[in-house]
Amino acid sequence: MTGRVRLSRIVKVFGWTGLTSLGGGRSAYFYDAVVMRRPWLKSHEFIQDLTLSQLLPGPSFANLGVALGVRLAGWRGGAWGVLALIVPGALILLGLTVLYFHVGFAPNATSAMHGMGAAVVGLVFVTTARMIRASIRGGRALLVGAAIFVLVGPLHVNTGLAVLLMVPLSLWLHRPRSGS
Amino acid sequence: MILDLARLTWTFLWLSLICVGGGLGVIPELQRQVVDRFHWVTAREFLDGYTLSQLTPGPTMLVSIFVGYRAHGLLGALLATAAMFLPTAILTVVITRHWATLRDRPWALACERGLAPIGIGLMAAGVYTLARSGVHDWATGSLALLASVVLYGGWLPPFALVLAAGFVGWIAGL
Repeated sequence: MTGRVRLSRIVKVFGWTGLTSLGGGRSAYFYDAVVMRRPWLKSHEFIQDLTLSQLLPGPSFANLGVALGVRLAGWRGGAWGVLALIVPGALILLGLTVLYFHVGFAPNATSAMHGMGAAVVGLVFVTTARMIRASIRGGRALLVGAAIFVLVGPLHVNTGLAVLLMVPLSLWLHRPRSGS
Repeated sequence: MILDLARLTWTFLWLSLICVGGGLGVIPELQRQVVDRFHWVTAREFLDGYTLSQLTPGPTMLVSIFVGYRAHGLLGALLATAAMFLPTAILTVVITRHWATLRDRPWALACERGLAPIGIGLMAAGVYTLARSGVHDWATGSLALLASVVLYGGWLPPFALVLAAGFVGWIAGL
């Protein structure tokens, strides 16, 4: 696989993305970094990697870093990308952990976290709306997307179970047809 | 000690393997294992560790550093974190590289078309879950709406907006 982007650029951008991805919905930061701000990926390519990262076992934000890195610069891109993504936050958390256990530092930032949490809702909402507009084509895709949303969101069905139910249905609905 | 280090590594390894569709789903099982079963951290410490991992950038599952450090110091933090991230990262490299070679075949294109709405549906469910915990009164609702407008307009990068909202939350005592 040929690399689309230099490794040093990947390390820089993934490192910055890892360092600035605060709150929940962290894949939205990646979308902003590699689709909106840089012409590295098309929206549908990002969604392919996002989906893969969600279906594979493991923390999905790290999986997404690996999948995007591999697409942009082969396995080295995946390896360096995920390291750049995780290590800055890991070092910060290690520092805070040491402070917590040895100095008695306690996280007491509830008000700030409430503000950040509300903004993250807005961030993830806008990103998801952009993805839907870019990639949901036709009634079948809309049906599958809406079904998985309702199952995992309002109905609180276990994510693994919902994926297990919906993936075969969606693959069957989107199967290659003669002449297409 | 070596036995407990092996147990710590194994626990985070199998937890990473049942972590599908984001880390949130695995948190209850993680808590059951590290608090109730092996007593590596107390319930209070786990809650504080989870809060710290939410406050710091990067994946929430970096809470493995907190638990591993409490259990066995730096070595525990390193092993728990490697167990949580390394095997599944290798699996992702192997599968994505292999998939890239198959991508142009009709059935692979059909797979990608079929899987994309699953990914987007999961992301939308994530918005729902985050909104249920993050929007609980008119002030947080307004902040979320304002954030959507600012991001849609592209007037601020996401992290600057989230930091600014954290500052507003702190000042306003949300």
